[in-house]
Amino acid sequence: MLRPDINDLLTQTGPGTPMGDLFRRYWQPVLHTDELPEDGCPPVRAKILSERLIAVRTPEGEYGLMDEFCAHRGVSLFFGRVEEQGIRCPYHGWKYDANGQAIDVPSELNNSEFCANVKLRSYPLVKVGDILWTYMGDPEKQPPLPTWEFATVPSGQTYTSKRIQESNWLQALEGGIDSSHVTWLHGGGPKGTGLEADPLFAGSRGNKYNAGDVKPFFEVVENEGGLLIGARRNAEEGHYYWRVTPWVLPNFTMVPPRGDHPMHGHFWVPIDDENCWAWSFDYHPTRDLTEAEREAMIAGAGVHSKNIPGTYRPVANSENDYLINREKQKTGEWFSGVEGIAIQDSSLQESMGPIVDRTKERLVATDAGIIKARQKLRRAVEALRDKAEEPVGNVPEHQRIRSVAIVLPADQPFVEGIGDAFQAREGVGQTTV
Amino acid sequence: MAEPVAMSACARAITAEEAAFRIDYPLAYARSTRIVAFDESAEAVMRGIADEPWGQARFYTVNATGEQLVTLDGEAVPMAQEIEHSDSVIMLATNGIKADAVAAVGMAARERAIMTAGLLFVDDGELRGETLMAIRPHARILLVPAEHEDLYQLLVAIRA
Ligand code: FES
Ligand SMILES: [Fe+2]
Repeated sequence: MLRPDINDLLTQTGPGTPMGDLFRRYWQPVLHTDELPEDGCPPVRAKILSERLIAVRTPEGEYGLMDEFCAHRGVSLFFGRVEEQGIRCPYHGWKYDANGQAIDVPSELNNSEFCANVKLRSYPLVKVGDILWTYMGDPEKQPPLPTWEFATVPSGQTYTSKRIQESNWLQALEGGIDSSHVTWLHGGGPKGTGLEADPLFAGSRGNKYNAGDVKPFFEVVENEGGLLIGARRNAEEGHYYWRVTPWVLPNFTMVPPRGDHPMHGHFWVPIDDENCWAWSFDYHPTRDLTEAEREAMIAGAGVHSKNIPGTYRPVANSENDYLINREKQKTGEWFSGVEGIAIQDSSLQESMGPIVDRTKERLVATDAGIIKARQKLRRAVEALRDKAEEPVGNVPEHQRIRSVAIVLPADQPFVEGIGDAFQAREGVGQTTV
Repeated sequence: MAEPVAMSACARAITAEEAAFRIDYPLAYARSTRIVAFDESAEAVMRGIADEPWGQARFYTVNATGEQLVTLDGEAVPMAQEIEHSDSVIMLATNGIKADAVAAVGMAARERAIMTAGLLFVDDGELRGETLMAIRPHARILLVPAEHEDLYQLLVAIRA
């Protein structure tokens, strides 16, 4: 259970809300670079943290992200014409540069003086990896550019997809933290074939531990940028198999690796209070993705989704009950009856409603990880609001993190056993079984 | 491509508000949450919140073997009987943990399929391996290190 005021506090991210202010202290992914594929290409609508924005790439190659609506009479600049140095509103011809500054208002006699007073709200839009990121907060407080490993390895080693999810961001994040759902929702088939059926997970020794011990124990450990959530299962005599999921505030999680498969994770980015982007990435720290891996990712395997061509809406969505297959649900081939990890998650998280009423939950003791994460979020929000305390997670030290899968002696704290395997280190492979 | 599922279509909400609709009726409290402090420092944390108006949670310390729980008023009661009808046992410990006691309680909970969670407070900053080993096998989920406030938040969240 969560008090209604705290549920509001954590779920509302629009301008001027406390959680919105927290989010505005982090670089967030906005677009894939493919969405603005070349200089002078058409603009793209982007809504993030309840702000409707337009992203442009000028003929000179400058990226810009600004208020979607023309200052004159509110026309959507989606219909604008990209011209040199900026974009022109098609209604009466006002023109803005990539920073939203009006640079030409043809109807006015004293053009330049008038222009000087017209500026659309704008934010930086910066390419790091295959992603365009924005920072929507106080420019004075702007943190260093993002250094997440998936975005900083060479392009051939990484792949990112996104899908729209019709739920508040916190429902999605909580799915990323709630490791205890994995054996259920993502389970299926006789003894772990669920994992073996996916080319992006198959063949790892970890899958056997998974199948051999379906009631994992959990340890939740404080970490500088957030939490580490360790799921342990029995391995060989006197040893445990650990799968460790890092959460970095506010909305970054990683899934523990399997074998030498690429490692993956998510950003859960609020679009508005009732929708979010599930960004899903897959990367290998030391080698290029194989053709087969990339094809599988594009086809929606692993953490990715099969989207309706030309959109970021999954083919299996709320309109068609996620194409639930009652036969496979019955036989247990797919435990939930829904195909694929991403849609298994989205189907259930969307089914809770756009913003789940957390006063009606019946949490249990083993939900302690989620309870702890909410508490940390709440504290970060309140500390920023009431004491102007700097948030964690927006600096390189907290972002150079990896998930880990490892077998350790039974008496070892996993943090100690794992050592610097949590650290993203250039040229060093992931720690995995 | 889309297969309409006509039969339950009337349950599909139209607005966000409708989609969020839930029948409003009071929710039951958890059933007999037992909170057990396994050493003195943990007891101090527990006493700090025990006076809150909890629904049905009960708070205990424990003897060395774990066979006896001791209520906050100092009354000794048989452990097995006391947790019998509980749905969760929350274990609190610091480096002074009584290993035999936690094993006895943990085993009794497992036999009765009672959910367990552990909060390991590490106030002196150092987590010792034997402390971890004592509680690890018995708590389905372990917060390590736990903050004092985690206990209160956990009990509120589970409607204890
Ligand atoms: S509305 Fe854009 S120029 Fe008039
Ligand atoms: Fe999931």
